[in-house]
Amino acid sequence: MSPYEFRNVLVPVDGSAGAEKALDCALSMCAALGARLTALAVEGRLPAYAASLGEVDEVKREKDAYFRGVLERADVLARERGVEATTDLVPGHAAEVIAHYASAHGHDLIVIGHRGHFLGDYLLGSTADRVAHHAHCPVMVVR
Amino acid sequence: MTPVELGAVLAGTVVLASMLSVELGISVALLELALGVVVGNAFHLDAGTPWLVFIAQFASIVLTFLAGAEVDPDDFRERFGASVAIGPASFVGPFVVAWAVADGLLGWTLKASLIAGTALSTTSLAVVYAVLVETGLNRTRIGKLIMSACFVTDMATAVALSAIFITPNAWFPLFIVVSVAVIVALPKLAPWFFGRYGDRVIEPEIKLVFVCLFALMVLADRAQGHAVLPAFVLGLVMSRHYQRHRKEQERLRVVAFAFLTPFFFLRGGMNVSLGAVFANLGILALLVAAKMVPKISLVLPLARRAVPEHATFTTLLMSTGLTFGTISSLYGLNAGIIDRTQFSLLVTVVVVSAIVPTAIAQRWFSPSVEAEHAARDRPAPQVMAPPAPLPAGERA
Repeated sequence: MSPYEFRNVLVPVDGSAGAEKALDCALSMCAALGARLTALAVEGRLPAYAASLGEVDEVKREKDAYFRGVLERADVLARERGVEATTDLVPGHAAEVIAHYASAHGHDLIVIGHRGHFLGDYLLGSTADRVAHHAHCPVMVVR
Repeated sequence: MTPVELGAVLAGTVVLASMLSVELGISVALLELALGVVVGNAFHLDAGTPWLVFIAQFASIVLTFLAGAEVDPDDFRERFGASVAIGPASFVGPFVVAWAVADGLLGWTLKASLIAGTALSTTSLAVVYAVLVETGLNRTRIGKLIMSACFVTDMATAVALSAIFITPNAWFPLFIVVSVAVIVALPKLAPWFFGRYGDRVIEPEIKLVFVCLFALMVLADRAQGHAVLPAFVLGLVMSRHYQRHRKEQERLRVVAFAFLTPFFFLRGGMNVSLGAVFANLGILALLVAAKMVPKISLVLPLARRAVPEHATFTTLLMSTGLTFGTISSLYGLNAGIIDRTQFSLLVTVVVVSAIVPTAIAQRWFSPSVEAEHAARDRPAPQVMAPPAPLPAGERA
């Protein structure tokens, strides 16, 4: 059996144009190959060094609501394309979490947008670069 | 610069701080403080402008009220026994050492030394809370212990700030009586008042809270004291009400974070003289040590007894500080107890103590959330790293 028979695909989503393209590409692949898809949203960090509990709570609530919306959209698109899909929302640093998640859940391919929402993607190089560097499996970067 | 021009510059700075906070994932308060340092030193803005002083002073009391109102009384009660040792130790050690260092080694006045002791003895509940929520530890036994201990330290700081610097005069008994009356009456009045007048865009319920806080500030001023303790306790007694009426609390936060607290932190930053900080790096290091050494040496043994497997993590988080440290320092500056150099040094130590221990704790000593939950046999938190994916269609 070829090591490249993709059966369990991970696509990180954050609502950005790049992530939308990656999701579209991943859905096409999964539909063609009969593979399962996991749409993963990474919440990013809560405000470090906050001055009040309220600031932390509000940001957490906003992030939860935003990323739930992003995942619901991915879920709807997957159903429309007849792809078996799961979704998950995880906190933490995007590149680290994506690479760790793929390894922990036995994903055999990561499909990721070239550039996401994070300012760091513009200033420090993309999350996709760092995922490609750390991932245990093949990574497809979608432009 | 006219007051309106100053307002425009600061409004732009506030927007920039908010944008950077969202992009960088750093607290808006810390960025407002930092940008206050930048614009204050770069443009020599007048931090003593009356409207700015007024808003900043009121914001500090609103922040204190919110700090009390955001405490979860049930969580606090659950771990009160264990935290009752760590909390006071975390306050008393740095308070005594920082006071002694400022008084004995640095030659500060007695009152200035006491401000140093108060500002450097604080622990930041909010800084700690962000770490605990982010990791899901806020719902574990260690998380609740640390939160509870932070609360005790905050309470001790509020007591110190209110009690040490008061100079009793004819207004003092009235200040006490009104404080107690407001603390007793507002939680009883709130359900009726908020039910009849609340949930409107004109926000009568927020105005009621504000008038109570203003009354406390006026009387504290007349009594030559500080309203921080009654404001904190008032928030605390209102916390159950806000637990039942989350929308009211959210709206109060919106008003506070959108308009009031930005000017408090900006003004704090504007009063920091970078020249004074760089000219006194040795004193800065001494003050950092005066905070950190007693915190660590007193809290660590107690933490080893309470949570032996996570003693270092607990100790490091208990060594943070931000809001109450800034409030204490600004009070000292406003009251003429400390000068701008002393203020600059104290606020710099406060900021350093918010960043460094937190970063070390997160990087090297963060406990395993799964192990903590297993130890406590409690349900897993909603967000933790990383749970099994939900099948499509089963998500809410």
